[in-house]
Parts: sequence; structure tokens; C-alpha cells
Amino acid sequence: MTPETAANLVIGLKYIAVGLVMLSVIGPGLAIGRLAAAGLEGISRNPDAAGQIQISMILAIAFAEAIAIYALVVAMLLLFVG
Amino acid sequence: METTAPTKTKKTPPMWVLLVIIGLNILASMAIGPVMPHVQVAPEALTPTVNLPVLGEFALTNTMVAILIADLILFWMAFRVNRDLKDGDLHPKGLAGVLEAVIEPLYGLTEQTAHKWADWIFPWFASLVFMVLIANWMELIPGVDSIGFFHEAHHGAPVYETRQLFSIGNFELTTITAEVEAGDAHAESYPGFVPFVRVASTDLNFTLGLAITAVIAVQVLGVKASGGSYFKKFFNFDGVKEMFSKKEDKRQFAPLFAFTDIFVGLLELISEFARIISFGFRLFGNIFAGSVLLFVMGSLIPVLVDSVFMMLEIFVGLIQAVVFGMLTLVFMSMATVSHDEH
Repeated sequence: MTPETAANLVIGLKYIAVGLVMLSVIGPGLAIGRLAAAGLEGISRNPDAAGQIQISMILAIAFAEAIAIYALVVAMLLLFVG
Repeated sequence: METTAPTKTKKTPPMWVLLVIIGLNILASMAIGPVMPHVQVAPEALTPTVNLPVLGEFALTNTMVAILIADLILFWMAFRVNRDLKDGDLHPKGLAGVLEAVIEPLYGLTEQTAHKWADWIFPWFASLVFMVLIANWMELIPGVDSIGFFHEAHHGAPVYETRQLFSIGNFELTTITAEVEAGDAHAESYPGFVPFVRVASTDLNFTLGLAITAVIAVQVLGVKASGGSYFKKFFNFDGVKEMFSKKEDKRQFAPLFAFTDIFVGLLELISEFARIISFGFRLFGNIFAGSVLLFVMGSLIPVLVDSVFMMLEIFVGLIQAVVFGMLTLVFMSMATVSHDEH
């Protein structure tokens, strides 16, 4: 294998790795969907508590989204650094 | 005939102004095609590195310029509000009135979450929200990330062909026309590009620094609320003490409780450090991904598409600022609750 082929192989594998890393975003996606569903159900049962439910829902969604952002940061590091 | 007092209506610009601007946009992108900007995680230095006595190597980076601009905006807001509130009017006009509509819900939220300590926590919460909000929304201003200067090509940095638009005396305005391929023979003669201002939240130093500050503030508040026994949350030897208790029923399962208490305490300690990473990377990842999205979309389709993503970025920047503040608020109010006994 010539060095040029090896270099191109590394670049190709890098892109495949980035794609595989971003597959893990399905977890936070499901989590945010379930959180929003639970929040909406809570608001529909008890409209007076809508303010408190909204705040807790946004907080929990931020936690779940942070996990997706970790995966995105790993993908960016793979793409743009090294 | 109107019976109410005539209100001052703002005249919006007519529709043809918008169409002219879009037309100019199309002409400009047909004349000089858009070039994909170079994206890198580390911020670019504007000045050469100097060796400071205490700090070590130091260079002014373009994110530091953005942080300074955000600071100036915050100081201006603070002085304006101070001046507007001077006459003690209960219905403040001007900037104080606008900010009152923002600060009142924030203070209500703080009081709801941390009842007694709201007066201590609220400055932290509101300052973090405003600082991160201004730092996030700066990426929407035209000129940020796009106006900069050229420098000699470093090894490995992308270089660009340029074309001079006009020059007034000593000042010349040059634009980038294309990116030079990496394997080009004359690549050294082309310059590289560094923007003057880069969004502050895309710098890991800024986000991790804010995260470390917030977490240390949480610990300080915990010590202030519970004294030195705040650290018993992490090093929990109450179960060990109960192992030597005189009562028989307390001593039975005590070793099991002691072990779990110590383990849970260590887990809490580790999760405090994980909060620093989580705070820093949540803000960095959201805003960095947003700015890369704006770059890529702007360089693929130069007309109209970027505006849609800027609407998304307004929302994302606001949410990330509020979430940073709210998480700090929640952790601070959890730290004031004293350590429960079984």
C-alpha cells in the first residue's frame, strides 16, 4: 500500500467514524420526545401548574440535550482537529 | 374622530427596500462567489505572543475582543439603567422599563426555587444569563467572523486568493475570492485570514471558565449556608459512627449503610467535577455547532437561507443562556438545603 493510499484510507475512515459517532444522538432524541410528552400531559391534567411544569421540562430537556452535544463535540474534534 | 390621544406609530421601511437589498445580495454573490470559512476549535490570535511575568505566554485572541465588547455592552446597560432609575419613578421609562420586564420573571423564578437565599443567588443567576446571552447573540451581527485581516501563510493554515475592492489612501478593502488548493505550488505567496471578532462562546476558555466560576460559587454558597459541615455531603462518615452505637438495633445493618454512605458521598464529589465539564461543553457545543452551521449554509447558498438559520440561532442562544443560569440556580439552591439525616 502506497503512502498516498494509506493517507486517503485514513481520511475515509475518519468520515466513517464521524458518522458512527453521530448515530448515538438517537438516545437524546427519544429522551427529549418522552420528556415533552410527559410535560404536555402534566400541563393538560393540571393547567394551573403549567409554569412550574414548563420550567422543570426545559431543565430536563437541557440535561438530555447536553448528552447529544457531547457526541457532537467528539464528531467536531474528529473532523476539525487531527 | 379619535377620542384617544394620538400614539406615536413607528413607520416600517417599505417592502421595496427589502427587495433591493436581496437583489444587491444576489448581485454580490454572483460577482464574487462565497468561500467556505476555515473552522477551527482553537481561537485565532490577533497579536504576536508576548511573555507576561505571571500569566506566561499571552496573545490577544479574537474571542477576547468579543468578551470585551460584551463587557462594554453590559456596562453601558448598567449605567443607563442607573440613570433612568435616578428620579425614583415607579414606572421607569427607557432601558430600565424594558429590563424590568425581563428581570421580574427571573427574580420570581429565583424566589420560587430558593426561598431564603434568593437575594444572594439572584445576582449570579441574572449576570450569567445576561453575559451568556450577549455573548451568544453576537454571532448574529454581520461583521463578526467575517471582517478581519490577512497575514502571512502559516504552515497548514488555508490560504486564499484575494481581490482588492477599493482603497482610500492607506486603507484598502480586500475580499476573498477563492480558496487555494492545498497542493498548489505557489501556496506560500497567498495570505491567510483571521477575523477580528469571533463569538465568545465558541472559545472553550470562556465556557469552561464560566463553568468553573459557577461551580466554585455553588460550593461557597454551601459553606455559607451550612458552615463547615457542608463537606459532610461528600465525605459521609455518619454510618461509620453508627457502627459503634450502643443501641443493638442501630448496630445491626450499620456496616452496609456506612459503606453506601461513603460511596454515595464520593459519587457526589465526582459529579461536582462532571458538572464543570457538562456546563462548559453544553454551551460550547451548541454555539460552536450553530456558528459552523451558519458558515456552511452561508457559503453553500448565499441568498436567504442563512436568515432561516439565524432565526434558529436566536432561539438556541437564548435557550442556552437561560439554561446555564437556571442550572446554576438549581445547583445553588440544592447546596443551601442542609444534609438530610436518615
